[in-house]
Amino acid sequence: MTNPYRLENVGFINRDKKISFKFNGKEYFGFKGDTLASALLSNGIHLVGRSFKYHRPRGFFGAGVDEPNAKVQIELNGYSEPNVNATEIELVEGISATSQNCWPSVNFDIGAINNLLNRFFPAGFYYKTFMWPKSFWYKIYEPFIRKAAGLGVASIEKDNERYEHKYEYCDLLVTGSGPAGLASAFSAAKSGARVILVEDKPMFGGSLLTDDVTIDNLSGKEWANKIISELESMPNVITRKRSQVFGYYDHNMVAMFERTGDHLNNKSKYTPRQRLWYIRAKEVILSTGSIERPIVFGNNDTPGIFLSSGAKEYLKLYGVLVGKKPLIFTNNDSAYETAIEFKKNGISPIILDTRENHESDLINESKNLGIEIKFNYAVIAAHGYKKVNSATIGKLNNSKTGFENKEKINCDCICVSGFWTPSVHLASQSGNKLKYDKDLDAFIPNVSKQNEVSVGAANGTFNLKETIKNGFQKGSSLSQKVTGKEVNLPVPQTNEKKHGKHDKFWCVPLPKGNNYKRFVDFQNDVAVSDIELALREGYRSIEHVKRYTTLGMATDQGKTSNLNGLQLVSNIENKIVPEVGHTTFRPPFTPVTIGAIVGRETGHHYMPTRKSPMHKWHKDNNAVFVDAGVWLRPRYYKVGNETLQDAAKREAENVRKNVGVCDVTTLGKIDIKGPDSAEFLNRVYTNAWLKLPVGKARYGLMLREDGMLLDDGTTTRISENHYHMTTTTAQAANVLTHLEYYLQVVWPELKVNVVSSTEQWAGAAIAGPKSRDLLSKLLPTEDVTNDGFAFMHYKEVDFFGVKARLFRISFSGELAYEINVPSDSGLFLWEKIIEVGKNFNLQPYGTEALSTLRIEMGHVAGPELDGRTIPSDLSLDGMISKKKDFIGKRSLSKKDFIKPERQKIVGIVPVDKKTSIPEGSHLVDDKNFKLPAKKLGHVSSSCWSVEYNNPFSLAIVAGGKTMIGKKLFAVAPLKTSSIEVEVVSSHYVDPKGERVRS
Amino acid sequence: MQNYSIFSLVKNAFSNHQNWEVAWKDPEPKKEYDAIIIGGGGHGLATAYYLAKEHQLTNIAVIEKGWIGGGNVGRNTTIIRSNFMYDANARFNEFGMDLWRNLSLELNFNVMFSPRGIINLAHSDAQMNAYARRGNSMRLNGIDAVLLNREEVKKYIPMADFSDDVRFPIFGGLMQPSAGTARHDAVAWGYARQADSMGVDIIQHCEVTGFEIKNGKILGVNTSRGNIKTKKIGLCVAGSTNLLAEKLNMTLPIETHCLQACVSEPVKPLLDGVVTYGAGHFYISQSDKGEMVMGGDLDGYNSYAQRGNLPTLQHVLTGGLALFPFLSRQKMLRTWGGVMDMSMDGSPIIDKTHIDGLYINCGWCYGGFKSTPVSGWTFAHTIAQDRVHELNSKLSLNRFTTGELLDEKGLGTKTWIG
Amino acid sequence: MLHIKCPYCGLRSQKEFSYGGDANVKRPKLNAEVTDKEWDDFVYMRKSPKGHHLELWHHTSGCRQWIKVKRDTITHEIYQTAKIEEQIS
Repeated sequence: MTNPYRLENVGFINRDKKISFKFNGKEYFGFKGDTLASALLSNGIHLVGRSFKYHRPRGFFGAGVDEPNAKVQIELNGYSEPNVNATEIELVEGISATSQNCWPSVNFDIGAINNLLNRFFPAGFYYKTFMWPKSFWYKIYEPFIRKAAGLGVASIEKDNERYEHKYEYCDLLVTGSGPAGLASAFSAAKSGARVILVEDKPMFGGSLLTDDVTIDNLSGKEWANKIISELESMPNVITRKRSQVFGYYDHNMVAMFERTGDHLNNKSKYTPRQRLWYIRAKEVILSTGSIERPIVFGNNDTPGIFLSSGAKEYLKLYGVLVGKKPLIFTNNDSAYETAIEFKKNGISPIILDTRENHESDLINESKNLGIEIKFNYAVIAAHGYKKVNSATIGKLNNSKTGFENKEKINCDCICVSGFWTPSVHLASQSGNKLKYDKDLDAFIPNVSKQNEVSVGAANGTFNLKETIKNGFQKGSSLSQKVTGKEVNLPVPQTNEKKHGKHDKFWCVPLPKGNNYKRFVDFQNDVAVSDIELALREGYRSIEHVKRYTTLGMATDQGKTSNLNGLQLVSNIENKIVPEVGHTTFRPPFTPVTIGAIVGRETGHHYMPTRKSPMHKWHKDNNAVFVDAGVWLRPRYYKVGNETLQDAAKREAENVRKNVGVCDVTTLGKIDIKGPDSAEFLNRVYTNAWLKLPVGKARYGLMLREDGMLLDDGTTTRISENHYHMTTTTAQAANVLTHLEYYLQVVWPELKVNVVSSTEQWAGAAIAGPKSRDLLSKLLPTEDVTNDGFAFMHYKEVDFFGVKARLFRISFSGELAYEINVPSDSGLFLWEKIIEVGKNFNLQPYGTEALSTLRIEMGHVAGPELDGRTIPSDLSLDGMISKKKDFIGKRSLSKKDFIKPERQKIVGIVPVDKKTSIPEGSHLVDDKNFKLPAKKLGHVSSSCWSVEYNNPFSLAIVAGGKTMIGKKLFAVAPLKTSSIEVEVVSSHYVDPKGERVRS
Repeated sequence: MQNYSIFSLVKNAFSNHQNWEVAWKDPEPKKEYDAIIIGGGGHGLATAYYLAKEHQLTNIAVIEKGWIGGGNVGRNTTIIRSNFMYDANARFNEFGMDLWRNLSLELNFNVMFSPRGIINLAHSDAQMNAYARRGNSMRLNGIDAVLLNREEVKKYIPMADFSDDVRFPIFGGLMQPSAGTARHDAVAWGYARQADSMGVDIIQHCEVTGFEIKNGKILGVNTSRGNIKTKKIGLCVAGSTNLLAEKLNMTLPIETHCLQACVSEPVKPLLDGVVTYGAGHFYISQSDKGEMVMGGDLDGYNSYAQRGNLPTLQHVLTGGLALFPFLSRQKMLRTWGGVMDMSMDGSPIIDKTHIDGLYINCGWCYGGFKSTPVSGWTFAHTIAQDRVHELNSKLSLNRFTTGELLDEKGLGTKTWIG
Repeated sequence: MLHIKCPYCGLRSQKEFSYGGDANVKRPKLNAEVTDKEWDDFVYMRKSPKGHHLELWHHTSGCRQWIKVKRDTITHEIYQTAKIEEQIS
């Protein structure tokens, strides 16, 4: 069994390792070292998929990243992946590929009816129709169009493979391992620079692998191997193949993805599938080479039509013939190399050269080999539906706008070359403003914005001798710039065939009476006629042309089509190409899997999870957790079959009746030290802080400069110049940054230091009428009487041998204390409280009960501190000092902030005392409101008051306290609820605050 | 003007599409206009269209420094919605929804407005409550809104992560079924074509270099293509607002930032509407071409670069993957950046200014596209009548002085966080 | 990704920093008489220049110092960084 199109003894594949694979359900084989494309071509398979719009049969066009057509659906390792480039994916055992965008099969595709009707689907046709009647667009037309959308099928299976990130720094990054890259990397590395050399293909060497050249009397490949093995032995060099640099970002940050897994048959568990590299390079050499430019002609999208460089690559790298009766169509010399390779392997090509009789080394060699050359000829159109079988060719007239004759000749492939386009994508991404080179008819890098330089074909140098010389020179000079060492290496001797000048001819005219489709962008089916139409309709900017026709917007991002598109616009508009300008080059150079971009932060690891030192106890005691920012907090401790509401009620009731304990470790804590601490607090908080004695705590409010509440919390004076601040869990990080901003930027004269101590302390709040009794057992030697340790007092205590901080503060509104111990002792503290608390009917309570307790006390929290409320909105006017200035004070006098009808906090109770009021309800005064309704306010927090055993809510209502006693309706159309409520004080329980002081 | 329809398409097909007319002309600027709109983006072109159509002002010009539709109208994620909490924003945008629904027919240009719904996901009870507050407010303003629970969300997006291996589980979401997307370029082109047909001059590659102002009155504008007289100027230059403000000696409550977006390779349809993730800043929809259109956070520092940085994109896509694990094997195809006017309360400004005849339309943050029709409609009214319409009366410049802020997110003035 | 030279720690990746806005915005002095306009200018009004921009960054995941950065808002080139108390030209 052999591959019918495989040559003996040519190519770098491993013929000892046969690999079987499937394509559209049928079994084939290839060899290790093949790509899926080369393996299919070796089996004579050309038809690989269907085009996006017209469903025309499409085959392989190139042999690498520039491939516009050969996108297939791949099944491998249990995963299905769409839009995989068959010219890039390496053949591995068990791979199964299927054609995309065709039904029922690539051979017989119903959608191809679009091709027959293509005259009705010119560029932008959908803008002109499908408008009437108006609901038909999204009910009928669009669903139909959406059905046709997309190429492959995305699997919704979860991806369990690993994607890793790597950060690397180097003196010099060299992107591409052709002659320019190897020369640059070698000379820089020899000069001592830390070099990273990367190559997107599975083999180093770039064009040296296929070009017929010698360097220091070695073949291109031998020289490349020699250089690579030397580089790989050097400690200051990292080399990577299968690695695509896809983005050039700011400050010389280059992003690359490495295909680490998919080419391995038995990948180890710890090998990632792909690795994303962030490379910060002091200097970057872009040796990205060039992409061959097609010539546009009739039916140029037929399977069997290749870039001539692609045909050469299939032959030289894989020993695969893309045809046995080739037609070579060129405007320059490089296609002659392809012709010569065919001829050397026993195949007789015919060359059609658009130039007048031309002389060059390569032409002479071709003539000597007996290759038939037709000068001044062009391919008018290819024939054959699923595979080229013949072509109409013709002799061009003098102006090259028509033909002197036409003839049809048989062929089984057409290799086309329209000269070369430097790969300037990365240079452009780096900010390099490109310039148009009239000799090359292409854009090349011009002035660098960052530390990058292009060498070789990427810079428009298509000559090996120059390329190697420049590479050595740039490598050593950039290395010298970084290391200061000057090293002069001898530049190797090169031998290559000289190329003549190319012809400025990229679009074959249509003979009169012929209406062949001439494609510029294959994947998106953009033909010459579409570009002409766009311009005719006034879409004249190149960006308008691109968007109207979708030129260059397919998955290949126009690598082979953009310049031909520009050239067409320039011809029609009678402008030179640089006046037309180019569309912007943006990352990524080639598509990158989102998995690689994201890396390891998936699933549970999307964000860190923070747990208090008592977490294990909570878990062991049936806590149901809730996310509080990145913290996990017990929401309630489930007993039996309790619901959340049952549990919250039980826990809250027990606090009101006996005593409860709550883990308050997650509260933000900030240590404040320095002689100006009091003055600082006085500026940061809205209330007065200068006279707070040592050993006392105070509640404070912080504002933003726009007057809105930022956070609240208590701060305690630990000693003369030492304070302990607490913040809400949510705002802990923001408050610290806020304090640092004012200390460092606004008031640097204040001698104060702030540091987060959240992680250092574990905290437990014990709350309830029996909390003092409990405390006296926990701290038997301390005086915890009301006189000995009054509300808002603080002291340092000994908690069973652990140095602890004791605060008499309360969020629940009950008599309560908070004990902080070093985090390591958190669990000890908790378990001790639980143990001793047994005698007092102590129960742990979670955030839900805490919420109930604070709501019925009228204490505000997140739903009220929503970034849109000022202190007076929340009945916190008393906290505003009139005597001193503080952050945000000046904003509080704004007209809208002091108007009487401003919405302010109140309590509301359902009139029936039974129906809970959904949070997020709005308040209206008319039950039978009309839309749009006049809203008086909204319900911010709701609970079941355990004190009164009826629902209670906090609401923010126009007029605030003046509304107390009024009846309103809390309406929630989302839940079709409308509840009559009575406005009451927000301080529903213990309005005078006697309990906390008892 | 040629009418676009299936019939004209078929007719032209038989003449090989040789007889289509230009969608808009390319005139030289006149010496004087009754009004000039600066900025040939969606809002500017819409303003010109409504000035001509609703206020019969046709001796007007739109001047654009580059090519029309080249700013944010051509580089957004095409989401259209009116799911706002504040009455001013909600009613303004709901009026816009009605304009959207008729837009293709009105412009005789298919803008592909497609109400496939938007779901804002919630990942905690607190978030559900906040969405309830917003959704109830929408309903009370006559806007459709549905609060979905976890199971209901699952019906719409079964491919979201409903597994246990998830950091922030989906609790539910707020849905506006009538929200959707449209083809962004078509909006600019459709307005341009109709405005042009009514006599509006659309002048591309014409950059403003200065203003003629005397005694507090606008007299004209200086451009790279000469000085043009006019008594009324409407500024519609999101992304460049601060630059023109500087030429006018004005300072505005706006900061200029870059917002990135990206698309995946096209795949067969699997996501119908728009979805936003609630435990990170990420939104996604699937275009009619099959590409997943994704966006999220600002790059986070003042920027006029229409290109962004990778860490932001990585951060945004990390949220995306947390929501839709299947994205892992999809490939990011194209990324781009747009330059945003980030206003200090997150809501736009459409107002008169202290200069007679100078009107300003700015501060769209990253939500300008959805408001294109209503912005143009109200701005045209404001310019033509020299007074604001009730719909944009709250979108005033002086709300920062009075305190009548429209801070939908409650984030305050740190625009780069929003 | 930007590379920012913290004047305390040296060159560090942007990921370690958070942005703090225009450094030319100066808070009015405490207890000073300020007009409504002066106050609103401080709270809300921003120049947002194209080109050179003097701005604040916070080395959040580092030394936690606020620093000054002079950066280009088109190219993102950083011309200079300094401690808060240092002048930047």
